[in-house]
Amino acid sequence: MHGVAAALMSMPRITSNEDIRLANGCAAGDTGVFEEIYRHHGDRMKSIAFNHLGNVSDAEDAVQETFLKLHRSASTYNGESAFTTWMYRVLINTCYDALRRRQRCIQEAPIEDITYQRAGASVDDAKRMTLRNMLAALPEQRRTVFVLFEIEGLSHAEIARVLNISEGNSKWILFATKKQLQEQWKNQS
Amino acid sequence: MTIHCDHFDDLLLAGDSFSMQVAAQHARGCPACAERLASWNEISDTARGMHASWSNDMLWPRIERAIVADAKRSRARQWQIAAAFLIFAALGAVVWRANERVRNAEFDNAILRASAVDQVETAERAHVVAIDNLEKLTKSKLEDPSTPLLVSYKEKLMLLDDAIAECQASIDRNRQNAHLRRQLLAIYSEKQRTLQEVLREETHASNQ
Repeated sequence: MHGVAAALMSMPRITSNEDIRLANGCAAGDTGVFEEIYRHHGDRMKSIAFNHLGNVSDAEDAVQETFLKLHRSASTYNGESAFTTWMYRVLINTCYDALRRRQRCIQEAPIEDITYQRAGASVDDAKRMTLRNMLAALPEQRRTVFVLFEIEGLSHAEIARVLNISEGNSKWILFATKKQLQEQWKNQS
Repeated sequence: MTIHCDHFDDLLLAGDSFSMQVAAQHARGCPACAERLASWNEISDTARGMHASWSNDMLWPRIERAIVADAKRSRARQWQIAAAFLIFAALGAVVWRANERVRNAEFDNAILRASAVDQVETAERAHVVAIDNLEKLTKSKLEDPSTPLLVSYKEKLMLLDDAIAECQASIDRNRQNAHLRRQLLAIYSEKQRTLQEVLREETHASNQ
């Protein structure tokens, strides 16, 4: 399991004092609190954004925009989910907004290849690029469930909380997405 | 555990380690399912290597600057909203004060108009009393008119009394209508002239 997943597994399911501290710090514009969030979650935020948007520049912009949204709307955080869960929801919605803006501009940004943190030596770059291209064509929610489960290693329970869907729905979306990818994967092969 | 190919998708949907072990066991004896499982796992293996990681030392300072700038903008916006609220409140106060003045002026005008009407009505009452006195002097002659001219005067006075009653009713509905009051004054003047003519006619008849 990734460090990312391990960190997210430790996300509290109910609002804790820590969540309240983070929300209050963000609402007050305390850059120390923002830096703490960035140090703990910045890497996985960048990865999630990159796997949605396909290039480093847009991913970094999405992360920055997410921090600004946290600053502007932390006062509306109602504590019904953990602060970090809410933060990832904001990040994913920011990525969706960026994708929609891109669709309106009708200029699909080229998918970049970057240095990956490889989990298995058998996976080669060509396969990753193929899968990345196939992901880019998926509907938003399918892409997000696949990215969070297969790439970032989140559990279905965590995905359900982030996307505000049921755990069973998360499983079903992943299964349907992988079936769709499997068909395309066979054709590519 | 023996499973049928039809249930293979159920195992993939469940996705937990036990289900995947059962699926692998079945795939060992089923080439078609083995191929499906291989591509299924290949996608997962490929995806696990797609966690993106790169270093950009400039990103956090950039985010920090953006947050600080956003906080400044937010404070400026709050001041703008407060200033707009104050201006709005000041404008509201000015408008309210102006309205108050207009209302007071209207009240004063109404008081003055009422006072003027009272003066007119006092003068009218004095005029009517004078005409009533004149009418008393002619009463005996008009009750039993001795000449066709007096009959004619009597009919004219009856018409004038009807006109006075009608005009008075209209004035009761709108006390400040100056036109109606002028009309009533004209009718009373006509009645006064008529009564004076009756008196003259009486004097002329007695001389003859």
